[in-house]
Amino acid sequence: MIRKHENSDSYKAGFYALAVHAALLVAMLVSFNWKAAHPVMNVTEVELWDKLPAPRVIETPKPEPVIKEEPKPEVKPEPKPIVKEEPKPEPKPEEPKVDIELEKKKKELELKKEKELEQKLIQKKKLEALQAETREEALKDKAAAEKAQKDALKKAQQEFLDEEKGNDDKASSATNASLVGEYTEKIKAKIRGNVNKTLCGDGNPEVTFAISVLPTGQLSSNPKLVKTSGNTACDEAAERAIIASEPLPLPSDPALFSQFRNINLKFRPND
Amino acid sequence: MTVANDMSLFSLILGASLPVQAVMLILLITSLFSWWYIFIKVATIKRAEKESEEFESAFWSGGELNKLYDGISSGRRKPQGMASIFEAGFKEFVRHKQQGRMEVSDVMEGSRRAMRAAYNRELDDLDAHLPFLASVGSVSPYIGLFGTVWGIMNSFRGLSNVAQATLSQVAPGIAEALVATAIGLFAAIPAVIAYNRFASSVDRLSVRYESFMEEFTNILQRKS
Repeated sequence: MIRKHENSDSYKAGFYALAVHAALLVAMLVSFNWKAAHPVMNVTEVELWDKLPAPRVIETPKPEPVIKEEPKPEVKPEPKPIVKEEPKPEPKPEEPKVDIELEKKKKELELKKEKELEQKLIQKKKLEALQAETREEALKDKAAAEKAQKDALKKAQQEFLDEEKGNDDKASSATNASLVGEYTEKIKAKIRGNVNKTLCGDGNPEVTFAISVLPTGQLSSNPKLVKTSGNTACDEAAERAIIASEPLPLPSDPALFSQFRNINLKFRPND
Repeated sequence: MTVANDMSLFSLILGASLPVQAVMLILLITSLFSWWYIFIKVATIKRAEKESEEFESAFWSGGELNKLYDGISSGRRKPQGMASIFEAGFKEFVRHKQQGRMEVSDVMEGSRRAMRAAYNRELDDLDAHLPFLASVGSVSPYIGLFGTVWGIMNSFRGLSNVAQATLSQVAPGIAEALVATAIGLFAAIPAVIAYNRFASSVDRLSVRYESFMEEFTNILQRKS
């Protein structure tokens, strides 16, 4: 491998060769950013629900407006009649043109004004005190309401999670029917949001469309009208809505997708 | 869907399939050897050029040839390059002359043959390892390509089981596979450059040796 006359150089050369490789390795490690950045990972998936799972969540927000409405009528009606009524007599006495009377009246007016000012100050103080009280009350009520709301939300979430867990268990035991139903409901809800409802009249017509879906949620062909609602404008509006609501929500489980490949969608646009 | 977040060099190498890893190992060893030979050749060619320079200046300084011969043959080191050609030619010439009853043309022919043999030996030493560098330069990209194709084949075969193919499922496999090509190119590029450089240096040296041989033959002919 190595000639005799090369013996003296071989060790040095071997050292240089290793040094070159080490240098290249270091350069690669330093200059490249080997960690792949995935900015997409920060995006959280949000599922929008048409109907909230727990009715309690809807109940709790009500106390808030009730509390807010209360303080307003208490505070505002009191000052307004007093403040607004009194300034009105002011401009009227100025109308007479006699100087003496005017002066007298001016003096009287000044006195009146002073009195009014005093009254106003007192009223203001009273008002402020009242407002502060009402504010504190409102804050307390608000905090309590928020707490109650949060508790209710937590409970609702817990219930929801429990339900989901139950669903998963069921799904794993080969009853995917609930998931399929859930997603068909979701698809219907999304389409319903895109229907121009004015075209479907006042009644509750029912349309049936046969649609074929790709795994990405896109439609592989145009939706076919299976059963008309009797109103062509409504049918066309529904068809446009189906096309507009691409991509359709689909379960992430590819095994479930086979049930969505070709579906007959029966829905009432006016629901 | 799992996304390989860690794309460090080591995870890329360790995550590759066995044939690809074998290809990478082969390429790494070839690269090490080719660099080793490159450094050896740089040193030897540089030394050969320096020595022929020194010898030429000593030879053309007009000194006595016998003295020069004694100086070279009495050295501890075996003479190399031009000195060894001179030594072989002059030794043969002196031997023929001592026998005394030979034709001038035969003497010249004999010393010429001796010089030619020494020249070939020298050239063989100079040419050593150049074929290795040439084959590394031409073959290692193919070896790397083989590793890459194998890796990409594997990563695409994995795709067939997935309903929804995304780039993130193929990308790590392809990145792993491409490391093999990168190593192959890293081995090949310096080998090709070094081969071309050394080939031209060896050519120039051999031309120099040959012209020295011609000139020395002339000098010997005048002497005999």
